[in-house]
Amino acid sequence: MDITAAIDEPAADRLLDAVVGSLPVQTASGTGSLGPFSASYSASAALTNGNVDLIAPSTVRIAGFRVDWTVGFSFSLDISSIIPDFCFPQVCVNIPCVGRVCTPAPCINWPTRTITVPTIGDFLNVTADFGLSAARVGPDWEIDVTIQGVPNLQFGAASALILAAIAAAATPILLAIPFLGPFLAIGVAALLATIGIAGVTGLLGPIITPFVSGLSFNVYKQPANFEAIPAAGVNDPAVFISIDDVQAQIQSTDEDELVVTVDVS
Amino acid sequence: MHSNVLDSRSIGLGDAFGQRFMKEGTYRYNVVRPGGGQMVDEFPYEIVVGRAAADREMHQETVLVASKERRLTADNERLQIQAGDLVVWAPANGEALRFEVTGEKDFFGSSTLKNECGYSHAFGLPGDYAWRDANGGTTRGVVRVKAPKMDGPAGIERWKRNLANAQLVMINNGKAEPAEVDIEVGQTVYFAVVNGDGITVTDDQLLEAGGHDIGTKYDDAKSQTKPMPTKPKPTKRTGATRGTGKAAKKKAT
Repeated sequence: MDITAAIDEPAADRLLDAVVGSLPVQTASGTGSLGPFSASYSASAALTNGNVDLIAPSTVRIAGFRVDWTVGFSFSLDISSIIPDFCFPQVCVNIPCVGRVCTPAPCINWPTRTITVPTIGDFLNVTADFGLSAARVGPDWEIDVTIQGVPNLQFGAASALILAAIAAAATPILLAIPFLGPFLAIGVAALLATIGIAGVTGLLGPIITPFVSGLSFNVYKQPANFEAIPAAGVNDPAVFISIDDVQAQIQSTDEDELVVTVDVS
Repeated sequence: MHSNVLDSRSIGLGDAFGQRFMKEGTYRYNVVRPGGGQMVDEFPYEIVVGRAAADREMHQETVLVASKERRLTADNERLQIQAGDLVVWAPANGEALRFEVTGEKDFFGSSTLKNECGYSHAFGLPGDYAWRDANGGTTRGVVRVKAPKMDGPAGIERWKRNLANAQLVMINNGKAEPAEVDIEVGQTVYFAVVNGDGITVTDDQLLEAGGHDIGTKYDDAKSQTKPMPTKPKPTKRTGATRGTGKAAKKKAT
C-alpha cells in the first residue's frame, strides 16, 4: 500500500524556515593562511532560510539563503618582513673644551609582534541547489535536503572591511615600537599590500565555506516499524506498520510540489 | 630589540656610555647586567692609559658589548689609549642584553656618572621625558620628543638627516644645561658630565614606579613581547610632562 503526501512551495518554505531556524550557531577555530602569514582564527555562522523554489525532478533551490558569520583572528608579524631594518647615522657632538664625541651607529632589527584583529561580522546571501534523498538510516527512514556542490561565496566588501580592521589593529602596536613611528604609514601600507584582498579572501573562504558546503537538513524522520494502533484487548492486538520504502521527488503539475511516497505493509 | 628606556644605569640599543681617562695607569673593569656592579669582584677587561703627547687632541675608542648565551662580553679585552682619550661603550647589536660598565676604581662606571664621562640616549617614542638623578641629587631636566612630520619620501629623508644632529646637555656639579631640550623621535641626547658627586640620568616615571632597584626592572630579550611595566605608553606621554622634576612642575602649572 502506498501513502502519498505533498506540500507546495509555500509549505516547503515554512518547513525549511523551521528546520534551518532550529540549527544552532556553528563555530570553528583553527589556523589559515592570511597572505604570507599564518593566522589563528575563531569563527561562527548562523543560517537563515531564503525563498524555496521546487524544481522537478529533485532540486530544492533556496535563493537568498543567508549566512551571518563572524571571524576574529590573530597573526604573528615579523615587522622586518614589511619594513627594512634601519641603521642610524653616526651621531657626533662637540663638547666644549673636550672635543668631538661620536656614538656608534646602531641598527634596528624590527621585532615580531602579534596582531589581533577583533571579531568582525558580515553576511552572505547564497543561492544554492539542494538535492532530495530518502534512505533507511538504522531503524528509521529519513529524508534529507542536501546541498549540491560548493557555492561560490563572494567576500568583496567584507575583505575590504577586514583589511581596514587589520590596519586599525596594527597601528597602535607598530606605534609602540621604539623608532618605528616615522615608518608607520609605510609599514601599514606594506602590510596591507602584502596581505591584499586576495589574502583576506584566501582566509575567509576556507573558514566560511565549510559552514555552507555539506549542509544537510533532515526534513522527515520516521521509524521503519511503528505501532499504528495500540492493543485494545486480548483478542485485539496492536497493529504495526512497516515502512518498506520512501521516495521523495519534486513533481511539477499545475504547481511545483514536494511529493513523498511511502510504501507500507 | 630592547625597550627604549632612559636610564644611564642601563645601557641598551641606542645608548652609549663614555668615559675619559685623564691619568696614566691601568683601569680594570667589567660589563655586567644593570644593577650587578655592586656584586662584581672580577674585572677581566683593561684600559691601559699611556702618556699623551703634548697638545694632542682627544681621541676616541669604542668598545662594543655583545651577549653570548646571556653572558656579556666586550670586544676588546685590553685597550690601549693615551691620557685624555675617551672610551665609549655601546651594545654591539640589538640582541645584546642591557648592561652597565663597572670599574674597579670608583670614579669609573656607568651606574654613577662622576667626572669626564657621558651617557647618550636615542629616543624612540614621542613624549615628554622628565628625568632626574636616581641617587637623590638635584640634577634634573626634560627632553621633549616630538613625532616628526612625515610628508612622504621627502619627510623621511629630512628626518634621517636630522638624526645625525644630537643635542648636548652639559652637567656640571649637578646642574644640567640646558635643562630642557626639544628633539624628534630617533634623535640622540648626549648628557656630558663634567664633574660631580655621581649622578644618573633616569626617567622620572621609572623612579616613580620603583625603579631604584634596577636589577629587577630591566628588560632582556623577552621585552620584545612584554613591554616594561614602567614604560609609559606614548599616547599618555604626549602633551603632558608627568615627571616630578622642577621643569615638569613648571610645565604642569
